[in-house]
Amino acid sequence: MLKAAEELELKRKALQVRRNILRLIKAGKAGHVGGALSMAEVLTALYFRVMKIDPARPDWPERDRLVVSAGHKALVLYAALAARGYFEEKLLDTYGSLGCRLPGHPDMHKLPGVEASTGALGHGLSIAGGMALGLRLSGLPSRVFVVMGDGELAEGSNWEAAAAAGHHKLENLVVIVDRNGLQISGPTVEVMTYEPLEERWKAFGWATRRMNGHDFGAILKTLGETPFERGKPSAIVADTVKSKGLPFAEGKVEYHYWKPPAEELAQAERDLAEIERTLG
Amino acid sequence: MKRGEMKDPRKTFGEAVLAQAEVDPRIVVLSADSSSGSGLSPFKKRFPERHLEFGIMEQGVIGFASGLATTGKVPFVAAIAPFVTSRPYEMVRNDVGYMRQNVKVVGRSAGLTYSDLGPTHQSIDDTALLRTIPGMVVMSPGDPVELVKAVKAAAEHVGPVYLRVGSPPIPVLYDAESDCPFQIGRGILLMDGKEVTLIGTGAALPRAFAAAETLRSQGIGVRLISLPTIKPLDRELLLAAARETGRIVTVEEHYVAGGMGSAVAELLARELPTPMRMVGVGDRFPPSGPYDEVLRDNGLQPDQIVATVREFLKA
Ligand SMILES: Cc1ncc(C[n+]2csc(CCOP(=O)(O)OP(=O)(O)O)c2C)c(N)n1
Ligand SMILES: [Mg+2]
Repeated sequence: MLKAAEELELKRKALQVRRNILRLIKAGKAGHVGGALSMAEVLTALYFRVMKIDPARPDWPERDRLVVSAGHKALVLYAALAARGYFEEKLLDTYGSLGCRLPGHPDMHKLPGVEASTGALGHGLSIAGGMALGLRLSGLPSRVFVVMGDGELAEGSNWEAAAAAGHHKLENLVVIVDRNGLQISGPTVEVMTYEPLEERWKAFGWATRRMNGHDFGAILKTLGETPFERGKPSAIVADTVKSKGLPFAEGKVEYHYWKPPAEELAQAERDLAEIERTLG
Repeated sequence: MKRGEMKDPRKTFGEAVLAQAEVDPRIVVLSADSSSGSGLSPFKKRFPERHLEFGIMEQGVIGFASGLATTGKVPFVAAIAPFVTSRPYEMVRNDVGYMRQNVKVVGRSAGLTYSDLGPTHQSIDDTALLRTIPGMVVMSPGDPVELVKAVKAAAEHVGPVYLRVGSPPIPVLYDAESDCPFQIGRGILLMDGKEVTLIGTGAALPRAFAAAETLRSQGIGVRLISLPTIKPLDRELLLAAARETGRIVTVEEHYVAGGMGSAVAELLARELPTPMRMVGVGDRFPPSGPYDEVLRDNGLQPDQIVATVREFLKA
């Protein structure tokens, strides 16, 4: 069981991550907000509890790795890396400027802690699979985590990678699917259904679990149990709410990408202040 | 290897990779159900744990290669050329090129090699596609000696490489290995002359060579250059050829659009505009049929190259 004090600390970190996301959007005047906010707890848990990392040594060969396959979730990656101390938070204020180190989709050569350059959906799982295979060949115990969008799962290349990871028994590979149920054009099951989601992964040789992607107790318990089965990669379906933390935008398809009018930005700041108040 | 000896380039390629893997434990081979046809069965036998099979999965295999490279491995991915170039182009561009990973993509049976299998299997746009990727070295060795040296250079080079290999047997063109001063980014002067420069690459090199010998026997001062690296180009050698001979003819088993000839033309248009002829495939899907006949259909046989050069000299 997660202790109350520990959970409170993680919630504070997740709030800091959300504040960083907002800070990025303010700097760039727009951004992919919905799918960033839905992963705030998962990335907080990964960077602050789960992954074996050292922000001072981002190239440490034995580190665990996170590949954000849905590269448009760059904002939550930048927000979490900054919160974890990979770089100074004031760098976030350069988002959107010419040649900045925080492009709209992450570039591994621009920022410490970014493990892969993603943005075109359906690439990250293969890259992560290669990392997991390479680490195993090198005899390293490190693990590779992958964050994917649920809409992203329509890309066929993912299923190539899923098959290969199952075939090669990549036990050190963990996928987290952000099941926020939305993509650009509407609800994911209407645009191109992925159900039955867990069965699909199972059929490709993966062990699966489902969790509430906003509940630190559930996240830490589930991630703590990986690998779920010996000799199988692990897939976790994280039930989440798109734009989580901003009630006016939660679960609304229009907030996939957000160019906030001033009044909405002010509302968002009030919403995050309210979260802070409830945390005490 | 002896001059004139015919070699199966896939077999030569596989032997070269194996030799390199003996001294470089970082090398791994990724197969998309394609290793045996790429001459890599001996590698698989010798290093089963370094031979990674993926099945018919050409998009996925490129991403896996990129991920493996991030952990310090040197992956060679070899398959039928269109299936590791045009099929997974975005993976090559993003996961290998943009991510600057030390991956060696090998397109074998490139060019018109699979003449009989038709346009789905012919690879005549791979140079065009891959040379647009920043940082990508594009190699197209034209004889077995160049090929062996290209494999070694690819393995030792830190960064993405595309290696274009044919499959019909090709003759050894060099008297001795030391006659082939292969280096990434360098062309090789095979014959000197002052009237016209003929440039060949890849599987087209032996035909350019034969054409040059005929032209020379006819008293024409032909300069022959082998261009085993298409990117980066050998600027000095090409500018000197343009300056000293005033006419350039390129020969390749590739679309004229975007191929080696285009790369040369881009350089010359900028630095030293020079009349050119480009022998290669025009704007169409070539017919399928016997290799020799498909080559003829595209003006790639030695006598046709000779005719192109002679007309050019009259123009
Ligand atoms: C190959 C590719 N096609 C299209 C896009 C444009 N695109 C960006 S985000 C997105 C929707 C993603 O939906 P989902 O994966 O569910 O992400 P989330 O809801 O978590 O934001 C699309 C289509 C892209 N980035 N890459
Ligand atoms: Mg979604």
